[in-house]
Amino acid sequence: MQIISFLFEKHPDKTVLAVAVMASLLMLNGDERGKNESARAISSFLLYPVERTRSYFVSVDRLREENRTLREVAVSLAHERERLSQFMEERNRLRQLLGFRMDSFFQFLPCEVIARSSNRFHHSVTVDRGADAGVRAGMAVVGYRGLVGRVAQVFPTSSRILLLNNKSVYVSCLDKRSRVVGMLNWERGDLFRLDYIGSEEDVQQGDTLITSGLGRVLPKGFPVGTILEVSDDRTELSRIISVVSMSELNTLEELFIVVGGREWNSREMLDRLGNIEEKQE
Amino acid sequence: MYLFRMIAAAVIVFIMQTTFVHRINILGAAPDLVLVLLAVLVLDRKPLLAVIIGFSLGFLQDLGNASYLGMNALAKSLLGYGISRFASGYFPDSALFRGLLLFLAALASDIIALNITASFNPGDVLLSFFRYSLLSAVYTAVAGILVFGVLGLLPGRVVRPRGGY
Repeated sequence: MQIISFLFEKHPDKTVLAVAVMASLLMLNGDERGKNESARAISSFLLYPVERTRSYFVSVDRLREENRTLREVAVSLAHERERLSQFMEERNRLRQLLGFRMDSFFQFLPCEVIARSSNRFHHSVTVDRGADAGVRAGMAVVGYRGLVGRVAQVFPTSSRILLLNNKSVYVSCLDKRSRVVGMLNWERGDLFRLDYIGSEEDVQQGDTLITSGLGRVLPKGFPVGTILEVSDDRTELSRIISVVSMSELNTLEELFIVVGGREWNSREMLDRLGNIEEKQE
Repeated sequence: MYLFRMIAAAVIVFIMQTTFVHRINILGAAPDLVLVLLAVLVLDRKPLLAVIIGFSLGFLQDLGNASYLGMNALAKSLLGYGISRFASGYFPDSALFRGLLLFLAALASDIIALNITASFNPGDVLLSFFRYSLLSAVYTAVAGILVFGVLGLLPGRVVRPRGGY
């Protein structure tokens, strides 16, 4: 120790040179794999600011591209919205002529999952909205992709939602393409079964199922699942239809409770959309 | 400020060495801009600092080719020490002598590198030395003279009386 401090004091340049030479020789004699790994680690550490700067500019470019695409989508959606509002007015007029109930649009109450059930066959979640927020038992609950379940129990500030993969939940569904109606029930894992479909019914693999709205239990038109497999029953009277849910029922975080329908007022809807656009600008 | 300028210069030189230099090779010989940078940085500096700068530059250069990790660190440490210890006192302050200094430094650097890469095989070392090293050393010397010249033209005292950046 004393020799080292003596060397550094008396001959600092020569000592540092000797250290540098020894360090270089040690590095040269290191094993190939160790050298490669050390070099990669040091390079990534030294190049971190460069990489950060590069990724910043890459992300800016990507955002620009995304913005351009979204603008295009916004323009086409605006046109489509205009067209649909005209169709909707026409449809409402015709429904009025035929004496049908006026269409309504849904109001969604956003909520967060705060607890999950641990029962393997009776899946349910608890959300942070309850009677105080206007939640009632039986209301439909949807996620970003489609129907998730319905409200079973309501407390002042929370509610328990029975999920689709709860053995006690049956959902009347409609094949979006062929309009065939069946009853959906959970089977196992991510698989569901669509019952009461006759062997002659037009149901195909890949068809989307939506809620039928029959019985007024759940509102009509929410996507529920996709048909995975269709096969004939042994009796050949009905079909065995396997369905996968639209929503990932095991990873739910944010949900929307359908708190009710309101008379469709296109003016109000357009005003709302206009307000959103103004805020974005 | 000196440290900042040194880092900035090192970044620029490394970018040029890795992206640009191979495009201007003549008969397979390319200038060693890192060596030029080393000469610019350590001329008229204390040997201790010169060794540290040489080792750091060489080590950074080695990171590009991990198979010979330590080779450039060794060569540049020795050259940094040599330039600082001997060249500063004995070489006159002129472009021609700076060129000569860089020529000799490039030859010394190549001799170390060739011996390590050719596992001290004299035949291979001599062959590569006469095939590439002489021309590369000339090229490095010319590049060095240009760099010193450009630095001398810059406003303020970018170049110290005897060269050091």
